[in-house]
Amino acid sequence: MTGKPDRVDAVIIGAGASGAAAAKVLTERGLRVVALEKGPWRTKESFGGDELANVNRYNLWPDPILNPRTSRTSPEVAAEVDPFCPVPQMVGGGTVHWQGWLPRFTPNDFRLRTVAGDLAGTTLADWPITYEELEPYYDAVEWAFGVSGQAGANHFEGPRRRGYPCPPMPQSRYAEKFHDGCAKLGWNSFPTPQAALSQPFNGRPATVVSAFAQQHGDPTGTRSSALNVFIPDAVATGRYELRPESYVRELVLDDRGRIKAAVYEDAAGVMFEQEADVFLLACGAVETARLMLMSTSARFPGGLANGNDLVGRNVTFHEYSASVATFDDPIYAWAGGGYVSASSFQFYEHDASRGFVSGGHIAAAGVGIPLPINWGLPGKPTWGVEAKQVDRDYFNHSMAVAMVLHDMPQHDNRVDLDDTVVDAWGLPVARITLIPHENDLAQGRFLVDRCGEILEAAGGKDVTKVYAEKVTGNCSHQHGTARMGDDPDTSVTDRHCRTHEVDNLFIVDGSPFPTATGANPTLTIMANAWRVAEFIVTSKGNR
Amino acid sequence: MNIHATFFDNHQRATVEAAMARIIPSDDTPGAREARTVDFVDRYLSGIDYIYALPDGSGFEQLEGRRAAAWQQRVDLARSKYVAGIAELDRLCLEQHRAQFVHLDEHEQDEMLRRIERAGTPEAERAWRDTPAIAYGGPVEPALQQTNAEADMDFFNLLVTHTRQGFLADPIYGGNRDQLGWQVIGFPGPASLAEVHAGRYNTLDFFADNRVHRGQEDNHDRQA
Ligand SMILES: Cc1cc2nc3c(=O)[nH]c(=O)nc-3n(C[C@H](O)[C@H](O)[C@H](O)COP(=O)(O)OP(=O)(O)OC[C@H]3O[C@@H](n4cnc5c(N)ncnc54)[C@H](O)[C@@H]3O)c2cc1C
Repeated sequence: MTGKPDRVDAVIIGAGASGAAAAKVLTERGLRVVALEKGPWRTKESFGGDELANVNRYNLWPDPILNPRTSRTSPEVAAEVDPFCPVPQMVGGGTVHWQGWLPRFTPNDFRLRTVAGDLAGTTLADWPITYEELEPYYDAVEWAFGVSGQAGANHFEGPRRRGYPCPPMPQSRYAEKFHDGCAKLGWNSFPTPQAALSQPFNGRPATVVSAFAQQHGDPTGTRSSALNVFIPDAVATGRYELRPESYVRELVLDDRGRIKAAVYEDAAGVMFEQEADVFLLACGAVETARLMLMSTSARFPGGLANGNDLVGRNVTFHEYSASVATFDDPIYAWAGGGYVSASSFQFYEHDASRGFVSGGHIAAAGVGIPLPINWGLPGKPTWGVEAKQVDRDYFNHSMAVAMVLHDMPQHDNRVDLDDTVVDAWGLPVARITLIPHENDLAQGRFLVDRCGEILEAAGGKDVTKVYAEKVTGNCSHQHGTARMGDDPDTSVTDRHCRTHEVDNLFIVDGSPFPTATGANPTLTIMANAWRVAEFIVTSKGNR
Repeated sequence: MNIHATFFDNHQRATVEAAMARIIPSDDTPGAREARTVDFVDRYLSGIDYIYALPDGSGFEQLEGRRAAAWQQRVDLARSKYVAGIAELDRLCLEQHRAQFVHLDEHEQDEMLRRIERAGTPEAERAWRDTPAIAYGGPVEPALQQTNAEADMDFFNLLVTHTRQGFLADPIYGGNRDQLGWQVIGFPGPASLAEVHAGRYNTLDFFADNRVHRGQEDNHDRQA
């Protein structure tokens, strides 16, 4: 038997960063919305300061036994099970256990193809929208979240209509070292804009600066996340019905080729068909592609809205890598969880003289997860007398300067369905096929070298460079699997993130991003979701 | 709640305790032995009743459904690795020294642990050949964002991982007794999970400047 709940205006699949942002906008503008979220709806009482549970035991991370993925470096070889690019699956999605570095993309990010020209082997493309078009929505998200930052401090940022709602977070010792190093080198640096409140804002108290932050849910509810901000806003409208533990398996079409319903399974294994006028995919770029590819029909035998075989292709993940150093004076990189940071866009913009395309965001951080269990210096022993000495000498005296790699989109880098591995619900899992482009490797080496220079200038010793030799998905950033563009032959969605082939299907996560850019994507993901949601409201009114 | 839940027999327990004491040795500061890391792993392997502490420290979560099944599978796998790993370690010790691991001196124990470590992976084997200094303990890639996949680890790496966890995890999991592990490395952790849960644990004292970010005074609201 299949349940048929009442039809609503909009169904949003996924209640993470983008799905929650869209829900806020749609419900506040009067639409009745059902959200279908695969994972649980956890409250702040269920979160705590427990490194073992959160970092090592998948308390929030997807359990790889239940939610495997597979990856391979070439279509010729068999894919291996690998928790590639995991993001928490629960209400709030990846924002539940982040610390939320929220830089804006720069104006050139939206036209990199024009700025840098053609790059052989890549599908580098301009975005169909501009920074100026997105700027109002950046502002909207920053003010809804209460982002803490310093306007004007990043000399490479585009124009902004006003400052940040909250001043920057207090300065950590690792941020101080970063500023020192950059100042000595003559490079611009700025306090990393953060999804946290440096002071009370909008009825919310200031954020508690714990060590258990990155990778931990927030027991105080004072960090800024989709769970703490957008979901309550949507609930407050009375027009938002959020159904957790509702796993969408397929979208089905009506006889006009529009989406009729989302088919989902609840916690008890009961199937439902939820009908609506419009459907928004917000599952994250990997799972959105997977769901589209699982939704086959006579009209779309190769997957939903995938007539041109681009769904899942051009996937980009960034990569997070770093230089690491030790210092004589204490850094306490666990203070604030290791990510109350300082940043530089000095090597962000494209510069042809460097011999590769584009660049990336550089920032201060703890070494890895700088908490007791998971801290460790690269290349150092992991056990024995010497290892214990390293722990004692450097746990409080080490830090990293890390970079976000702007990996290039390539046609053959893709997400598709694995032909053998299934998840705990019996559905085929996402398979990642990915070979880094030479540009990715060259850019990564360049940026990690600059990271090392900052550490050296700040007085760091024993600088160790960990180059990104492959893309492993360790950033938990995902983009590109349903790129937007004006040309239906070379893109999956139009500039409003509506699929070219199905006019009541929108995609609001990172899937429509034609390029990854070199910055953490989620501010832009949420701003874009806000933009698309407003378009849906407006165009609905016009129909 | 049975806080004394265990898995090992006496010999297995003694072997693991001795091996952990070489992984984090006791010197002028406490090591794995004093922090009771063997209690930590023994409890972990006892079943799935101690996987997640309740975040206020009042007990442990009762797992259900798919999560319980996944953890049962993971614990079963770890158990079989420990049982086989301990037996293999003893077999090698008997072959080499005519004595079980627990009866060797510290030097011999280190050497036997290094031997099973090298047997672990081709990379470890190769690294050992090329650069013995680094291979002592195996070259580590720093865990930058993702967690390690315990299911992929061999016995030796599991042992090292669990020793570190037992030394440095919140004491509620049975190790890190009296927060000895945290004291050794210099982490002023919370008095209890409840402190963090209630929002009383704050690390601003360890910031450079717990009031403002440099430069913020002059141009915070500057319009670009
Ligand atoms: C530890 C960590 C730190 C991070 N730090 C930063 C940072 O500092 N800055 C930054 O910009 N980004 C950061 N990120 C990345 C950020 O979390 C993601 O970019 C963001 O969450 C993506 O938003 P989304 O809406 O696309 O997807 P998500 O937030 O992943 O939400 C997708 C939701 O869809 C649900 N879902 C998936 N499939 C289905 C289905 N079939 N049916 C129903 N529901 C489904 C999932 O359960 C999930 O809840 C971090 C991520 C992690 C893991």
